[in-house]
Amino acid sequence: MSVFTFTKKIPKISHLIAVAIMFFSLSNVYAQDGENLFKANCASCHKIDKKLVGPALQGVRDRWEEEANLILWIKNSQDYLKNNSDDSYASGLYEQYNKSIMPAQALSDDEVVAVLDYIDAWQPATPVAAAAPAGAAGPVDAGEDYTFYWLLAFALVLIIVIRVLIDVRKSVRSVMVEVKGEEAAPEDSMGMVEQLFYWFKQNKKFTAFATIIVIVALAFQGWNALLSIGVYQGYEPEQPIKFSHKIHAGDNAISCVYCHHSAEKGKHSGIPSVNVCMNCHTGISSGKVYGTEEISKIYEAAGWNPETSSYENPQKPIKWVRIHNLPDFAYFNHSQHVVVGQVECQTCHGPVQEMDVLYQYSELTMGWCINCHRETNVKMKDNGYYDQLQKDLKEVYKEEGIEEFKVEHIGGLECAKCHY
Amino acid sequence: MNSSKKYWNSLEQLNNDPEFEKAANKEFSEHIPVDEFIGKQKENGSSTSRRDFLKFLGFSLTAATIAACETPVIKSIPYVVKPEEITPGVPNYYASSYYDGNDYGSVLVKTREGRPIFIEGNKMSSVTKGRLTARINSSVLSLYDSRRYSAPKVNGEDSDWTSVDADLKGKLNSIANKGGNVRLLTYSLNSPSTLAAISKFGETFNKEEGALNFKHVQYDAISYSGMLEANERDFGKSMIPEYDFSKANVIVSIDADFLSNWLMSSAYLNDYSLNRVPDSNKKMSKHYQFEAFMSLTGSNADVRGAVKPSEYGAVVTMLHNKIASSVGAASIKEGSINDDNGVADKVASAAKDLLSNKGKSLVVCGVNNPDIQCVVNSINNMLSNYGSTIDLSTPLKLKNGRDSEMVSLISEMKSGNVDALLVYGCDPSFSLPAEFGFNEAMEKVGLTISLDGKPTFTSEKCNYVAPDHNFLESWNDLNPKGNYYSIQQPTIKALYSTRQMQSSLLNWAGQSSDYYDFMRKNWEANMLPMAEGKMFFDSFWNHTVHDGVFEVKSSATEETAFTNNASAAAQKLGNSSEGLELVLYASNSIGDGSNGENPWLQELPDPVTKVVWDNYITMNPVDMGSEYEIKTAQETPADLAKVSVSGQEVILPVVASPGQKIGTIGIAVGYGKGKAGADLIGKNVFPMSTLSNGNVSRNLSGVSIEKTGEKYPIASTQTHHTMMGRKIVNETSLETYKKESKEEWNATALLVDAFGRKKKVEELNLWNEHPIAQGHRWGMSIDLNACTGCGACVTACHAENNVPVVGKDEVRRTRTMSWMRIDRYYSSDADPKKNDGDRNYAAMENPSAYPEVVYQPIMCQHCNHAPCETVCPVAATTHSNEGLNQMTYNRCVGTRYCANNCPFKVRRFNWFNYVADEKFVDVNPAQDELMRMVLNPDVTVRSRGVMEKCSMCVQRIQAGKLDAKKKGEPVQNGAIKTACSSACNDNAIVFGDINDKKHAIWSLAQDDRSYNMLEELGVKPNIYYQTKVRNVPAPSYEKNIEKPVEEHSA
Repeated sequence: MSVFTFTKKIPKISHLIAVAIMFFSLSNVYAQDGENLFKANCASCHKIDKKLVGPALQGVRDRWEEEANLILWIKNSQDYLKNNSDDSYASGLYEQYNKSIMPAQALSDDEVVAVLDYIDAWQPATPVAAAAPAGAAGPVDAGEDYTFYWLLAFALVLIIVIRVLIDVRKSVRSVMVEVKGEEAAPEDSMGMVEQLFYWFKQNKKFTAFATIIVIVALAFQGWNALLSIGVYQGYEPEQPIKFSHKIHAGDNAISCVYCHHSAEKGKHSGIPSVNVCMNCHTGISSGKVYGTEEISKIYEAAGWNPETSSYENPQKPIKWVRIHNLPDFAYFNHSQHVVVGQVECQTCHGPVQEMDVLYQYSELTMGWCINCHRETNVKMKDNGYYDQLQKDLKEVYKEEGIEEFKVEHIGGLECAKCHY
Repeated sequence: MNSSKKYWNSLEQLNNDPEFEKAANKEFSEHIPVDEFIGKQKENGSSTSRRDFLKFLGFSLTAATIAACETPVIKSIPYVVKPEEITPGVPNYYASSYYDGNDYGSVLVKTREGRPIFIEGNKMSSVTKGRLTARINSSVLSLYDSRRYSAPKVNGEDSDWTSVDADLKGKLNSIANKGGNVRLLTYSLNSPSTLAAISKFGETFNKEEGALNFKHVQYDAISYSGMLEANERDFGKSMIPEYDFSKANVIVSIDADFLSNWLMSSAYLNDYSLNRVPDSNKKMSKHYQFEAFMSLTGSNADVRGAVKPSEYGAVVTMLHNKIASSVGAASIKEGSINDDNGVADKVASAAKDLLSNKGKSLVVCGVNNPDIQCVVNSINNMLSNYGSTIDLSTPLKLKNGRDSEMVSLISEMKSGNVDALLVYGCDPSFSLPAEFGFNEAMEKVGLTISLDGKPTFTSEKCNYVAPDHNFLESWNDLNPKGNYYSIQQPTIKALYSTRQMQSSLLNWAGQSSDYYDFMRKNWEANMLPMAEGKMFFDSFWNHTVHDGVFEVKSSATEETAFTNNASAAAQKLGNSSEGLELVLYASNSIGDGSNGENPWLQELPDPVTKVVWDNYITMNPVDMGSEYEIKTAQETPADLAKVSVSGQEVILPVVASPGQKIGTIGIAVGYGKGKAGADLIGKNVFPMSTLSNGNVSRNLSGVSIEKTGEKYPIASTQTHHTMMGRKIVNETSLETYKKESKEEWNATALLVDAFGRKKKVEELNLWNEHPIAQGHRWGMSIDLNACTGCGACVTACHAENNVPVVGKDEVRRTRTMSWMRIDRYYSSDADPKKNDGDRNYAAMENPSAYPEVVYQPIMCQHCNHAPCETVCPVAATTHSNEGLNQMTYNRCVGTRYCANNCPFKVRRFNWFNYVADEKFVDVNPAQDELMRMVLNPDVTVRSRGVMEKCSMCVQRIQAGKLDAKKKGEPVQNGAIKTACSSACNDNAIVFGDINDKKHAIWSLAQDDRSYNMLEELGVKPNIYYQTKVRNVPAPSYEKNIEKPVEEHSA
């Protein structure tokens, strides 16, 4: 029976829960709607906490005496002005913003209310990095590599152990001499160094072999060290603005060529001019990590005054630190690779969309270029330029049976392709 | 050898001068400058031993290694607001125009990141048709000239525009109020808007209709006043008609150097060149030249007669009477000549050819004498050339200056009647005859204002300087002839605080100083109505600015009555004078001297004498030997001589110039420019010219010359490239070319193999072929018939490839850096019977006084079996599978083996770091902060110790290929042009893909006239030359000559 009653109650509770969920989700839907409506219709001209093209909207309900008027105003401000010419606040607002007309909004009253609710409920987002120490610029080091120190400690321990063992051996030997009255071995009377040389003399073959190995190893290391001169793989300088490719290219998935548009046209990929930044950043004045600190540097460069929303200050070009530096005698053309070769930017520049701070991903050495030219197929398909060449090359490489041609087959390894 | 002509390229070679033989046997006639850098050690009292050297070596290696370890911090500064049309790394082209009073050209300006770096011809212009001269394409360097005025000046002190404007407005106003006289002196202006601005300025002084308080006087440094006067007599109008060389089958020129300095030479070069190439019917134009000094034009003539300047009248009257007797016209008084090279026969033959080409011929004359010009007009009239090759309805507007106006201006000035003189674009202090006394007259003028952009002798004497922009910074319109207009548009923001001359005038006249606006209004009012199918001004204007030209072809030929004044004129012509005569000529590279300081032009060798960085006395070697005992000298220092004429003297070195009329000497004008006190380049001889017959004459008699006994070093680029009698230039006569088979006049080289069999060169091949059969094979064809030797290609190459200017001293050490040179060979007919072998110069020991000349542009031949590639120890020079001989500077260690092994001697070694070495501060433009902006960013600036040579503009090839790849189509014919072929407008130099049948070069390479230089070496060049055909009958000996076979054992 009790079981029965208990089971009977279950649907009631579940009903209650369902109602509760419905209630909450209902109000939630409204707030969500308000946010979406705001972003879709208002955000291009209004911000909640500051002036953009139009006034800041925080507390807009309090500023209007009648909410109904506010709704009418929002829906069609020109009509409202016509019909309520005595509303001094509305006409004052219109004058204050240089008689710029707010376009009529095709929203229902409920939707306007939802937007107003959203504005009331809005809380300024706390910048994440405002709490983070300023010194932690750039990516957090993903755990420093301590292996070397461990190895060093281990080697020290080993040396001590060997030393102790040698001493022990020495003592045992002298005890043996004393006990058995044996002749002292010649090395016993020698110092450490003399003993070492004595040992070398006794083991000439091993010594020679070891010497050769050491010389080869040193030469190899030396050679590598020389080769790495002028190679700045991993070069990660501090930039005047803490610009994050991760946020722009990764999180917001902005195409590389939106900013680096000359990569498709000329030899330089081009560092975007400040006016390109301002396409988006007239609206976005605060970032997730550094708040307004970094973006205000763009404003300073562009001469933009966010208060008045106009370009009124002197312009100051940004001095970026160049990361990918080819020597002057090497000619490289981005459009050749990006447009004709259809090479992805990431092939050479690495996972830029994951880099908070940009670094040089590739070696940018001649060997690195040449390697790629040996391995990469030329995109000959559907390119009229290559039609005849492809035909001719197939004839030449008939015996080898090569059908797809690498860059090296069309002379991509020749000096004057890059040096002139 | 297919003709028995012997070529030599310097007189030392011809005379087997021992000095020359010594030099000829050495590849580098100078020792390596090790002493120079070790010498600095010696100055400090220490000597560098081998041990020290090794220490330094070790130290510098370590230092370099350590230095290289530092991470460089390179800043990159993008635009704040990027101009829409600029993409970094991609050039922009703007149509513009060049005009400096001497040269006119419709041009395309190539800019990189907003900097003009190269000037080429604008093909949309039907006036110059895309052709330029060396002076025009070098003008881009003058933009960056740091000697330009950087601000307005008052009495030599820098000032600012506000105060200068206020000052001048006040002064000019008070002159206007008191009714004073203001004179504006300019070069010949043809810009309609400028002339409108000038008349606006003039209105402020000419208060009443017809008042002459303001006058605009035009003046040309190289005067055409005589021609204007003659045409005024004959046609009633002071004008110069248009000459159409493209329609002329026979050209007779008396002292008109129309390929370098006569009227619109940029246009004539194109038309003349195209007519020189035998067409499919094997027809070509015939060119006679009669002149005293060997001009560029004369050196191109089929038949050249050397006459004294005082005999020009006689030649013209002789020609007149020969033609007159045939057409039944009245003959005139005929002069006589002192003939030593068959001039009478040549004139007769010219008359015969002219008569058989009536209406398709041209007689032109460069003598500034109205009487001679009247006779020439009469000849052209008899030949019915007016209306066909000479167009009176399309007058040329480049030369308007009448010397009589200049004379009256100076007398006005001397009498103190001129209150203010404004000078623009001309330098009368420099270029007027001394007897005019312009400088003294100028002192009598209360207010002198110069509107020149750069210091001239005149502007330095002016009270005020209101500097004009460079033409690359200016808006303007030009009207070179008839109703043909072109636009000048700015391609860079003004570098200095300068203002356009037109704006200054408008400003002082109290108008708005926006000349661009003024010009647009002028065009809207006057040119828009002429434009067919254009309703709206903005679209018309944008279209015109884009094209750079606006041309209205006159449909109706205006009938102009001709009054024959030849008979009266002939009466006035004097007899030929005895004694030495002097010709003051305008040189090909410097012209009237308006760009005389331009280092590219100074280093461009004179086409005939090949001398750079100087002017000099040209003299026939016969005169030098017999009359004056002056040593023939190009390698050794030249003798200095003093030339005196009517109280004026000048001391200059003497240079041998075969072809110069015996008994005459020549000196180039336009030299001696530069700031007072500084070292001037050459000497100014303009003041020696004299007023004769009411016009300025640059032909002087009563001249004396004497050796001073001193020596002077002369730098000449051609004495160190010896050809040793091999088949370098292949030349034949038109008759042989027409009648004989190809093997007769362009024989395939045969070699003798080990079994004594004669074989073609390719059958005796030592090397494996490069894979040049697939893909591209870049090549070039150079037509020796179309090449006039003008040198525009050389300066274009300098601009495109950052070729360093090395200066006179280095040129003397045979270290010119030009990637491209134009070799000039004199030829003479030697009797083949006395000719006993190819390498024997015995038959030529007596130099010919009046030789023929051939030009041959030489650059790297891009051999497919290149001798330089096989000897490079570090593989710095290699072959591409597109047929290019590649030079990799960063690999080169400077052994110079390649230069030793190059049969064409086209490789150049960087003896110095020309862009940084203090030795070259004065000559190398790249050392100047500003002039460095002209460097082409796509081409490496080479450092000391590396070899360089023509790359066939590989940067342009790569850019052109990339363009085609992006479009997805094969490289089109003409899509890629090298700097030289673009400067040549494809007249002589044609570039393209020899493997592509659609390219012009493909058929040119197969042409009968085509040959490879030094074919017998088997190096297989990718550069093809087209045999030079001279429009002369076959020499009598040529027919029975035994054809020599090159006996080279393989």
